[in-house]
Amino acid sequence: MVTAIVAVFLLVSCSSGGDKGGKGEGGSAESAEEYPSQEIREIVPYAAGGPTDLAGRGIAAYFEDSLGQPVVVENQEGASATIGTTELVNSEPNGYTLEMATTSPLVLVPLLENLPYDKDDVETICVTIETPAVLAVRQDSEYETAEEFLEAAQANPGTLSVALPGANTPQGVELQRLADEYGVVVTPVPFNGDSEAVAALLGGNVDALFDPAGDVVFDRLESEEFRALAVGSPERVPYLPDVPTLAELGYETLTLSTSTYGLVAPKGTPSDLISELESTCQAALENPETREQIGERYIPEQFIGSEEFRTLLDEAWETYQPILGG
Amino acid sequence: MEVFGNLLTGFEVVFQPTNLLYVFVGVLIGTVIGVLPGLGPTATIALLLPLTYTIPPEAAIIMLAGIYYGSMYGGTITSVLLQLPGEAASVVTALDGYQMARQGRAGPALGIAAIGSFIGGTVSVVGLTLFAPLMASVALRFGPPEFTALTVLGILLVTYLGTKSFAKSLITAGFGLLLATVGQDPVAGTARFTFGVQDLISGLDFIAIAMGLFGVGEILYNLEKENGASMVSSRISHIWPTMRDWAQSRGAILRGSVLGFFIGVLPGGGGVVSSLASYAMEKRRAREPQRFGKGAIEGVAGPETANNASSTSAFIPLLTLGIPSNVVLALLFGALLLQGITPGPQLISENPEIFWGVIASMYVGNLILLILNIPLVGVFVQLLRVRAGILAPIALMVTMVGVFSVNNNVFDMWVVLVFGVLGYVMRKTGFEPGPLVLAFVLGAIMERSFRQSLLISNGDPFIFFTRPISGTILGLVVLIIAISAFQFFKRRRATVTDELDDEVQR
Repeated sequence: MVTAIVAVFLLVSCSSGGDKGGKGEGGSAESAEEYPSQEIREIVPYAAGGPTDLAGRGIAAYFEDSLGQPVVVENQEGASATIGTTELVNSEPNGYTLEMATTSPLVLVPLLENLPYDKDDVETICVTIETPAVLAVRQDSEYETAEEFLEAAQANPGTLSVALPGANTPQGVELQRLADEYGVVVTPVPFNGDSEAVAALLGGNVDALFDPAGDVVFDRLESEEFRALAVGSPERVPYLPDVPTLAELGYETLTLSTSTYGLVAPKGTPSDLISELESTCQAALENPETREQIGERYIPEQFIGSEEFRTLLDEAWETYQPILGG
Repeated sequence: MEVFGNLLTGFEVVFQPTNLLYVFVGVLIGTVIGVLPGLGPTATIALLLPLTYTIPPEAAIIMLAGIYYGSMYGGTITSVLLQLPGEAASVVTALDGYQMARQGRAGPALGIAAIGSFIGGTVSVVGLTLFAPLMASVALRFGPPEFTALTVLGILLVTYLGTKSFAKSLITAGFGLLLATVGQDPVAGTARFTFGVQDLISGLDFIAIAMGLFGVGEILYNLEKENGASMVSSRISHIWPTMRDWAQSRGAILRGSVLGFFIGVLPGGGGVVSSLASYAMEKRRAREPQRFGKGAIEGVAGPETANNASSTSAFIPLLTLGIPSNVVLALLFGALLLQGITPGPQLISENPEIFWGVIASMYVGNLILLILNIPLVGVFVQLLRVRAGILAPIALMVTMVGVFSVNNNVFDMWVVLVFGVLGYVMRKTGFEPGPLVLAFVLGAIMERSFRQSLLISNGDPFIFFTRPISGTILGLVVLIIAISAFQFFKRRRATVTDELDDEVQR
């Protein structure tokens, strides 16, 4: 019995070999020339296998090659990704602890909940992937265009239901703003993740969905089960070139529904280390292998560096604060 | 036929050497823990869950499924030899199996159980192969109202069936529902009932709760029990049943297969309920019902077949709808979530390797079990000599390391300990943790889909009754409640009249 159980543990632990590593315990700040002199720890605040994890691991692999030190990815799931983010904020700002974060734990959740940090407690490094949200209906829907759909919603407030991938999502806030600023009232129905939202639309239980156009949704658009009506990004999306943006359609301010993933470090990390990490990140996003690994389609066409990433967080904060309180 | 092509995909997955090894390891562990009294499949899967995190999802689920149906085989051995059911579903086997063993017929009892289990398991897998894709194709018609109705039915059946005290399981299920409300509100998105604890913002971790209640709770509880049953020590021989045994049990095995398959699909139906139902059926059909309880081979063959069949068909609602129908499948649900896969109608198209891999692995696993069980019964019996005092600390340590490794979060370890103590206390006081855990899982689905339904219908509650599928399911719920209420009052009136009679006579 014991032998059998021990055998499984060995079997299982073999395949996990070296996955979990120690902390990068750094002392005083180093200059950029010496950095990095030890392994770097990269927190991923979501479960392994998700889009954040994928981006995190892709970047980690490149950083390891380029910086010559191991980069250990550590999944710290929980509490809407705020556990991992709290861990980062409390880490030594010496460049040896980084996090692959999203706008949700950096902006949305701190506005809603009483957390020990907010978006200003991190140093932004770069945006790695962006997934613009798409408003889509089933292929057999009576609404051919976004205008038709949104006009119908305006004429009969609350009668059209729109599936969301979750309650605390940039897409949800955007639908709230659609009602507040433009008087177009749909009924948002939050589901648990992209797959459930997609299933709800496939089964005809909702009229539309407003969801990041990641693989799960994109596959249904490609197989023509769904029809994309509009995208929520400021510019048209290269892989959905015929789909108008909400801004084009006259909803100029509705450009914040893109899900953004980026690399951050604890506040106070020396600026020369930040710029070194920033340029490594830029190189990673140009490297064909890394691009392939984290999904070419979702890498921003124009590199979004430290400052632009900061502006992005600040803008989101200012827009969301009156809606979510904080 | 398309099914065969798909099944072939599944076998391709299973026949990869590593996966084959995982099937083997799964059914072996299953048999072993089935033999060890106390440590059931639920506790084992709960304990091993975090370790599967690092292996591919199809391998993980294949192994865990193997533990589940493997334990159904293993549980028989101790039931027959010691009158000590290794796991709950073998309780009825102890009735006639132990009597057979005392008559020196332990061999045929174990033999027929293994053969019956194999047939039941295989019939059920064939059913699963044909029925699950069909189910998956209509699964898209299950929207929020249907999920609400299904979870209501699930929680009702789990509290009603297979538990000793209805009142107690109602209390534990209610507590599970309350725990499910901690954390993020599914619609408003804000956290509730967290008492300012940041770790609770997205709620309690299901895996930590299950590992605490089942794993740690069971370890603690077993430590105080003494292993004092008397083993039938005569040598086990003639495992292959005679022609007469076979003739007597053939019908029971066939009926058990079909009965087990259908009961397994129902929420709460896997395991105990199916074996009890089969035993009752065989006893009712028997020409000499008085033989039951005195070593009737049908009383072993039928229930053993049924519990294997039901543990297989219980996968249908999980793989097609994402609704776990019993606690073990709730754990498998957790294992898939851990891997970033949400079981549901999309599983068959998005992860065919998992869907068909699990199904194909059951064909292989059942065959391995048959080969493993017939010659090795004697070896497994020796396992009973392992002392709990050695096993318990190892299991506890593995649990704590395991739960930490999932999220790298110390808070989860506290959750395990707190729920471990709770699980121990519950067991001591006769409360079963099963309804709590299942209500916790189903409660979250129920709340979300209930509120989604009302959002879609603009607050009109009739959405639950006017849609055909959810209306039918809720009709069933009302019927079950009505029947049991009627029986309750009838019984009460009967006792009241008895008491009156007593009074009069006095």
